[in-house]
Amino acid sequence: MMRYLKLFAVFFRTSVQTDMEYRADFFTRIIASLLGLLTTVGGLSVAFQYTATIKGWSFAQALVLLAVYYLMDGLIETFIAPNMRQIMEQVRNGTLDFVLLKPVSPQFLATFRTVNVWRLANVMVGMGLTVYTVGRLSLGVGAAQSVNFAITLVAGAVIVYSLWLCLVTITFWATRIDNIEQIVWQAFEAGRYPIEIYPAWLRGALSYVIPIAFIITVPAQALAGRVGGGFIGISVLVAFVAVMGASAFWRFGLKHYTGASA
Amino acid sequence: MTRWIQIYRAQLKVGIAAMLQYRFAVLIWAVWGFVGPLISLAVWTAATASRGGSISQGATTFSRADFAAYFLVFMVFSHLTMSWDAMEFASRIRDGQLSPQLLKPIHPIHRDVAANLAFKIVTSAMLLPVWGLLILIFKPTPPANLWQPILAVPALLIAGVMRYLFNYCVALIAFWTTRVDAINQLYFTLDSFLSGRIAPLALLPLWLGTIATYSPFRSMISFPVELALGRVPPSQIPLGFALQIFWLSLSVIALRKMWNSGIRQYSAVGA
Repeated sequence: MMRYLKLFAVFFRTSVQTDMEYRADFFTRIIASLLGLLTTVGGLSVAFQYTATIKGWSFAQALVLLAVYYLMDGLIETFIAPNMRQIMEQVRNGTLDFVLLKPVSPQFLATFRTVNVWRLANVMVGMGLTVYTVGRLSLGVGAAQSVNFAITLVAGAVIVYSLWLCLVTITFWATRIDNIEQIVWQAFEAGRYPIEIYPAWLRGALSYVIPIAFIITVPAQALAGRVGGGFIGISVLVAFVAVMGASAFWRFGLKHYTGASA
Repeated sequence: MTRWIQIYRAQLKVGIAAMLQYRFAVLIWAVWGFVGPLISLAVWTAATASRGGSISQGATTFSRADFAAYFLVFMVFSHLTMSWDAMEFASRIRDGQLSPQLLKPIHPIHRDVAANLAFKIVTSAMLLPVWGLLILIFKPTPPANLWQPILAVPALLIAGVMRYLFNYCVALIAFWTTRVDAINQLYFTLDSFLSGRIAPLALLPLWLGTIATYSPFRSMISFPVELALGRVPPSQIPLGFALQIFWLSLSVIALRKMWNSGIRQYSAVGA
């Protein structure tokens, strides 16, 4: 375990060193991220001009949800997506061989190798919005809520990671699935808003097939103190099952990987 | 003239073949364009329900079915006028793909136009049944009259050409800076508010609605959509077309100017 933490620290350092060559990108990302935020917040505020609540969500509560969305989006773009894209590329041209030959867990090496440092801008924007909305709601977030929020957020991130790992594993069989990640993003996009606004069948899909509820809604509600301990337990359990399942699927998929010239 | 027909026929053939080669990816991209309007529709449907059935500002009233009609037409018109050159052009400059294109005897924009048309031909065939299904599900309000939807056809044509050229101008900014992410995001943000993507323009705050009316973005999508629904006050129709023509002419001029000075400034990476 220590060894893996050390390795991750090294990976992070080299990523920072690489990305430091593109410093100006950071400001580009901050600007882009803020503009994106303006679009969504503006869109929401137009709808809330006409009504105080939408399906029981007030504007401030919807903003908390949006903050969690941005936080999660930033985490995905920083830590998860760059690695997963790389794996798909490596499977396609056979260079995954070099990953498999190293004396560490291939899943660890393949999925934690790169960090897209400047995307932390999105995480920062998400955190800023979280702090702002919590202040605005005057929620009086106590220690318990903060802990619950942290737990459910990590559980959500683990679920996203597992989902993505499953998608990547599919490329062992179907190498030419371009834009497969677009499907995940499409579902994820829907999570910007409370899932109660969608028709029942879609809500079901968003809760169980691609569990947006556990990725975004539950952390947002934990922050607002609207979920009990039971839900937090379930969230952790779902995350645990997801990562175990995804990991098993990945190992199963690896057996089908044949390398470049095979 | 016949020369151009031949050129475009050949380019289209290549374009369609390429699109069919990547049909799965292409279909995902096309469906992606439907997701945004559907989410907006869900938000407004929920808001309408909270307001007891309809939302109104001034003389404008939208019921649930009106919103459905608006966003269902919007998603189709948005699809038919879309382009992606602004997202692609910078990388073409960065990795030098532009250089060989400049050596060809015709302007590179013609290849891009053909690829754009090919995408729309291929995907529209795929999306038509999806759209039909959505109409059955959402039961939108039919157009208020028949003569405005007929006028929507020329409006949509102008909008398509204009939106394409405008987007290409944004793409050409890459001649001066290859860091276009923020510029593209700005374009997308303006487009979201002013083209009617997040809400019908009539429901925007008054000041924003006024900006939107005269901005190029309404001419790109919202105006033809409003016509197709038969919701434009007759006295406002000439103004709408005039604005479209104005922005179209301006984008033609801007594109020429930007291309001519940009190309002089361009040097292949590594040169």
